[in-house]
Amino acid sequence: MRLSVAENWVEAPLKQFVGEARVQLAVLLNPSGQVLGQYGFASSVDVMTACALAAATTASSAELGRQVDGKAFSGLHYAGKARQIFLGQVPMGASLLILLTVFDDESSLGLVQLFFAELCANIAAIVPPEAPTGPALGEDFERELNRNLSVMFGRS
Amino acid sequence: MVVGEGDGMVVDSNLQIGVNGDAFAALTASMYRKARRAAAAAGFGETGFFELDAEGGRMCAAGRNDLVIVVIAEPRVNVGLLRVEMLKALEAFA
Repeated sequence: MRLSVAENWVEAPLKQFVGEARVQLAVLLNPSGQVLGQYGFASSVDVMTACALAAATTASSAELGRQVDGKAFSGLHYAGKARQIFLGQVPMGASLLILLTVFDDESSLGLVQLFFAELCANIAAIVPPEAPTGPALGEDFERELNRNLSVMFGRS
Repeated sequence: MVVGEGDGMVVDSNLQIGVNGDAFAALTASMYRKARRAAAAAGFGETGFFELDAEGGRMCAAGRNDLVIVVIAEPRVNVGLLRVEMLKALEAFA
């Protein structure tokens, strides 16, 4: 399994999610776009791109939800011809994480939603008290991002 | 319940309290889809009716046009009658 994590506590729930939901790609990140764990990506550049886009899309859809419905949209699904994307928010104490996942017809939206709910419960149960609850400070962002990517892909 | 075969989402349902419809729909659609693929891979053609026996009950599924009718029943149910009624109901999906 091509799973790697920057924070050890996300490994078990993420591994369970990708194993049960049968997704092709998954990345868990915080709202500022820093990766905590990934499955299926071949390079750190792809992860960085996916994280940046997922964070931006989540911020945009949350604001759109507030404008339209008075509260942030909490999930997003896009069905392409061969592959589908699900973007969901994982509550983590006062803050949240973002899960971006890509799947094909080996899985389904129903399965992804089902095991995403389990992922949320598992993370809520094991999140360590010292886990960061807010977005990283701007001055630390690049250093933290590079650290996480080098932990996962073994490059500095 | 009527479930989308491709996405595993509930289209319509009539369930007893306590049954987790969303989870059941997602897992059942996945099983039905895989059973269809297994039957096709084995050269058996289309899957018409799918039945799962468990200790406390039965699950039956039959599909057409990307929709699956799923029935949860007690172990003592008349499966033959259930099958006939489900296949009849499938005509509505034509």
